Amino acid sequence: MKDHLDTPPQMPLRPPGDVMRLSRMGSMFPTRLSFLRSMIWRLVAERAVIDRPVWEMDAEGFGHAVYTLALGGHRYSLVAVSSDLPQELRTDRVIATAWDSAYVLYDGVPGPDDITRIISNAPLQEAGRFCERDLVLSRANKSVRLFSNVVDALRSGRQPDARMIRDVGYLMRTTAVYGNGKFGIADRALIADRPGLEGPFAAEMLTVWLIRHFTHDLVEHVGGASLDRALKRHLGIGNATGLGMAPFLVNHPVLLNNWMMARETALSRVRALDALNAAQIARLGVLAARASGHLTEWRVPDADHQARIDRLSQDWKATQALLSPDALSRQRPLEAAMQAVTACSEDVQELMVALLIEPFGELVDGLSACMADPYGPFAPPLADTSTLRNQIAKHCDWALEPDYEAHEACGQFWYVSEAKQEPRLGLRFEDPGAELESPLDIGRRIKALHDALPEQGQSVSAFLADHPEHALAVQRVTLAERYPYAEIRDNLIATTCLPIDMLRCKLSFFGASKFDPKSDRWTRITLCQGAPLADELDAAADDWWLPVFAA
Amino acid sequence: MKGSLNEVMTLAAKAARGAGAPPAQAAQFGQAAVQHLCAGRSEKELRGALEALPEGPILSLPLLLADADEGFVESEGFEGLARSYVEALPFKASLDADMMLRCDRAVPARRKFLARCRLSNDLMELWCGLAARLLVPESDSSRRSGAGAGLTDND
Repeated sequence: MKDHLDTPPQMPLRPPGDVMRLSRMGSMFPTRLSFLRSMIWRLVAERAVIDRPVWEMDAEGFGHAVYTLALGGHRYSLVAVSSDLPQELRTDRVIATAWDSAYVLYDGVPGPDDITRIISNAPLQEAGRFCERDLVLSRANKSVRLFSNVVDALRSGRQPDARMIRDVGYLMRTTAVYGNGKFGIADRALIADRPGLEGPFAAEMLTVWLIRHFTHDLVEHVGGASLDRALKRHLGIGNATGLGMAPFLVNHPVLLNNWMMARETALSRVRALDALNAAQIARLGVLAARASGHLTEWRVPDADHQARIDRLSQDWKATQALLSPDALSRQRPLEAAMQAVTACSEDVQELMVALLIEPFGELVDGLSACMADPYGPFAPPLADTSTLRNQIAKHCDWALEPDYEAHEACGQFWYVSEAKQEPRLGLRFEDPGAELESPLDIGRRIKALHDALPEQGQSVSAFLADHPEHALAVQRVTLAERYPYAEIRDNLIATTCLPIDMLRCKLSFFGASKFDPKSDRWTRITLCQGAPLADELDAAADDWWLPVFAA
Repeated sequence: MKGSLNEVMTLAAKAARGAGAPPAQAAQFGQAAVQHLCAGRSEKELRGALEALPEGPILSLPLLLADADEGFVESEGFEGLARSYVEALPFKASLDADMMLRCDRAVPARRKFLARCRLSNDLMELWCGLAARLLVPESDSSRRSGAGAGLTDND
């Protein structure tokens, strides 16, 4: 850890057995350690200037544009391609083949040949071919009703309906943001040590923020007038995310550990604060009120989810008393606040976590440097099968609890569909394909390993020579000591498993808010809402945690 | 064909799974295959390893490297692939001309990354074919349960 030389005091970390449960992961909120926030700090620190050297758009907003900026001594460019998409082809699904707009984050400033190449390939997305100068590939569809409303208003010489901007929150939503070598783009390893791009998904977050900027320019171009600045700031960039994101958390245990460890360490540091000064107390009060306003503005069509938001909103009003100036003037006030919410819902608890971290950048921001995974799994091998058994008992007891033979404990299976190789979740006893199951059943595998271990200890490699099918479980158990937050401690093939919880966890680390679940396996979200605009990259602008509509 | 290291690694791992390797060993094969191709070693060994499943180096090489800090690596005719496996380890490790392994598991590997990885069209076709064995054919029910299902997106 970069800040190991002067580590602040901290309380004990919350135990992985509490933190790494699906229901809690599905209650997470963005924090100041979220990757979008880190990217914005970086842009602010460098006083980044966004140029637009190319703008070749017709009156209806179809054409291409190039944006460039310098970051950490390198130049990057977003090439944006806007197309006329027939309504019947507009779908958020991964299996779509055409989109309103397509994007490439390019390493450097593209010349005419590269621009031509990207214009040809980016709209093809997965069917295109890309090179190592292409860092990120993405696409986005319009929110047709809001985009049209804004255009109509601007063309009529007025500002658009503020209420609609508040309710929708974005002009376009991305349906994929590909990095790390997909379809021939650059491997992350090639750029992972560049200043500004060291953090997880940093290049993707830069792309998303630039896409948001492009959507503002595009609507103003087609509308023929400028949007009010406050309205524009509230227009983030939407995203539709499905099951493809869920296996990532299972397949990158060290990364998941590092994200969670940074967040939990941040919490433990602020909990250890003995006393707060007046400015900190006031700040917490402002943020608590802002969170309340944000919850009020968070409206979704799904009745169940709206009811959950409403409950949280109600509960939060009661919880705010814990953050009164009086309460916060006592000894170790943030520890007291966390203790007090242990009886509340996980939604309340996780909102409190995100809130308490927010005002204490000087204590926690250094932890963002620990969230990448530069080395991969790095744990010493276990001496023998007896040690393996002990490690399972010590760290993986959660995996031994379910009876995986019971239908409800194995009722779902993860697989990859032939259609665009989309990850999906099937019903084991109804759908075809269970024999081709993807290995996300970590808990079941650990239990099977445990049951297969010999009474007499032997070397792990001798055991695996006879039982090669248990190698994945051995790997995961081996990691458990060094990476305590690496494993989702739930049964991911149970009938009760809700993938949406995994999506929310990952998206909250990106910095997403306004989760708008469309089923238990895909969601829409908003990114960059309230974030600084391209001409607002100063320190004061980085105050957009759970934004409220300010128009 | 040339591609990114990650897409070649992922494809090789899927091919190994499609050919019958357990998931952990398949993933290790993917990592080794990238090192192998970047080092310009023979594709023949990569094919041979897949053909040897459910036995052979995809199962035996990870065991040889799993817990030994030093010792002789019996490569069973897959010397180049054994070197590729050693180069893919996350910690400092080397295999000398006599196939003697030396590891320092406390020190991360320092790897130089190439921008592109080259492989023949034949090998890619082989891998794609094996990887396709893992794909579940589209059905109405699976389509309905995918992300984004059941929604008009013109909103």
